[in-house]
Amino acid sequence: MDEYITIALPKGKLFDKSVRLLAKVGYSAENVTEDSRKLVISNEETKVRFIIAKTVDVPTYVEYGAADIGIIGKDVLLEQDKDVVELLDLGFGRCRLMMAVPEAKRREKLTDYAHLRAATKYPHCAKAYFNKLGIQAEIVKLNGSIELGPIVGLSEMIVDIVETGRTLKENKLVEVDSIFTATARLIANRASFKLKFARLHKLVEDLRIVLNEEAK
Amino acid sequence: MTNKVYQVPYGTKDILPGEMKSRRRIENAIVGVFDKWGYDEVKTPDFEYVDTFGKGGTKGDFRFFDRDNNLLVLRNDMTAPIARLTATRLNGGEKIKRLCYLANLYRYEEIQAGRQCQFEQAGVELLGASGAAADAEVIVLAAAALQAAGVQKFAISLGHVGFINGLAEEAGFGAAQVKELQSCLRRHDAVGMQQMAASMENIRPEIKEIFADFLFLQGGVELLERLQGVVTNPKALHALEDLRSIYDLVETYGAAAHLSFDLGLYRSLDYYTGMLFEVYMPEIGYPIAGGGRYDKMMQGFGLDCPATGFALGVDRVVLALERAGVVKAERRWDVLVAWSEGKLLEAITKAADLRKEGRSVKLCTEAMDLTGAASAVKEYCCSSLVYVS
Repeated sequence: MDEYITIALPKGKLFDKSVRLLAKVGYSAENVTEDSRKLVISNEETKVRFIIAKTVDVPTYVEYGAADIGIIGKDVLLEQDKDVVELLDLGFGRCRLMMAVPEAKRREKLTDYAHLRAATKYPHCAKAYFNKLGIQAEIVKLNGSIELGPIVGLSEMIVDIVETGRTLKENKLVEVDSIFTATARLIANRASFKLKFARLHKLVEDLRIVLNEEAK
Repeated sequence: MTNKVYQVPYGTKDILPGEMKSRRRIENAIVGVFDKWGYDEVKTPDFEYVDTFGKGGTKGDFRFFDRDNNLLVLRNDMTAPIARLTATRLNGGEKIKRLCYLANLYRYEEIQAGRQCQFEQAGVELLGASGAAADAEVIVLAAAALQAAGVQKFAISLGHVGFINGLAEEAGFGAAQVKELQSCLRRHDAVGMQQMAASMENIRPEIKEIFADFLFLQGGVELLERLQGVVTNPKALHALEDLRSIYDLVETYGAAAHLSFDLGLYRSLDYYTGMLFEVYMPEIGYPIAGGGRYDKMMQGFGLDCPATGFALGVDRVVLALERAGVVKAERRWDVLVAWSEGKLLEAITKAADLRKEGRSVKLCTEAMDLTGAASAVKEYCCSSLVYVS
């Protein structure tokens, strides 16, 4: 083990579970916390290095090879279409991308939603979804509080991630169609996956064992 | 007076003095190896009619019209133009043709370090030869070219389209499932492969396991031997034998240390029919070279002819070598010839003599005194001074 494995971890809801899971297979370091002042945390003994990154940046770090591997939601992967290896479904962080409208604006068929505006943080996925339905929609890219779109008249629909559906209810929105479900994934840089294959293969095998144990 | 800053278009870049010098050295080293192995260099147009690149072309092409409204495309790949050239201009003559090129290619890319919309490839095509000897030759030549360029640490992953197709056959896949399989492998989606395996019915558990682990089928000869004991489809078995023969030959060449098998390797170009490979370096996050066998492509140009080859990304190699600290942008000439007032004619003769001796010479354009000349040597990036007085 002469070379480091660099791992990009996403801040936010996937962070704690990622750190805990990796620790179970021996990939840990002192003070790997979300609010860490240090941006890079190394464990010299086990040759592991952690980068704590903004969620949407994790695939970029991995694609460039700045990190060998990373943990990221499938939703972000589908949105960004980066050239990385998707190694393992980690099962946690389950969420759903769906299309919703205000209760009052509900229409009969999906195709009745043509030529409306959709607010979303996922413009790429939203566009692909509407294309698949064969309808045109104007996509309004927002960076947060997507539910606000229909309330303030910015859009007629939203395409957004839901976990429990509570925010939808609170804002009097109804889900019209589910687009996909997503969970956290372990991803790897293409070159790292070949050049550090033995170590990464072992990591995946170990993680599978832990995940199977937890599923029981 | 204007404040406009003139920019180059998105995805293009200037190569500056010094940078270009070290790049030219690398290019020459690579093309020099191709020549040593008996490859003829050719040059094709930077743009072609769109049908050279197949019906649909590729996403990200740069396209435009000529004056007769024909659709043209800036080439995004060299294999198709070389196939066209061979079928239309070199038809006949020797049965085996060895061609090589150094060319700019164009493809719309989200730009990154080592990934631009205009990029340079050096490559070879070995046309007319089927069989492991030709495949081994191009793999070893790729390694030799990289070594000549100064690359020391690299790894070659070798796979086979026949293995993938054979397994799809063994699993009884229809056209849609084959497409799904190819798409999963192309996206390097191990999770997708797991899901595909889980949904397969009426299939031997060993084969199911291969599908589930497709991206992890990496290793040495022992991996081939293990798979030979499991797989029964003749196409897949033939692919494994083919890989073994290629490996044995590469070993004879003394290059096997760089080689490992990667049976889930599937490249984004869909014309490959046999072995295919990619080369990686630790300094760069994506492959620096790749290639494979494409026995059906020439048919499209009216010549039935097996072929194999590879291309390496010159920009990526240069970048990797810079990162590894192997090359530095350096500007250096041997001699500065300076002269005192009225001595220009003698200085010209002196410079000519030195160049005849094989030295690189800069000749001052104005008279200088000796102290001025002595301090100018460094500024002119020369190693020594000859002062004519």
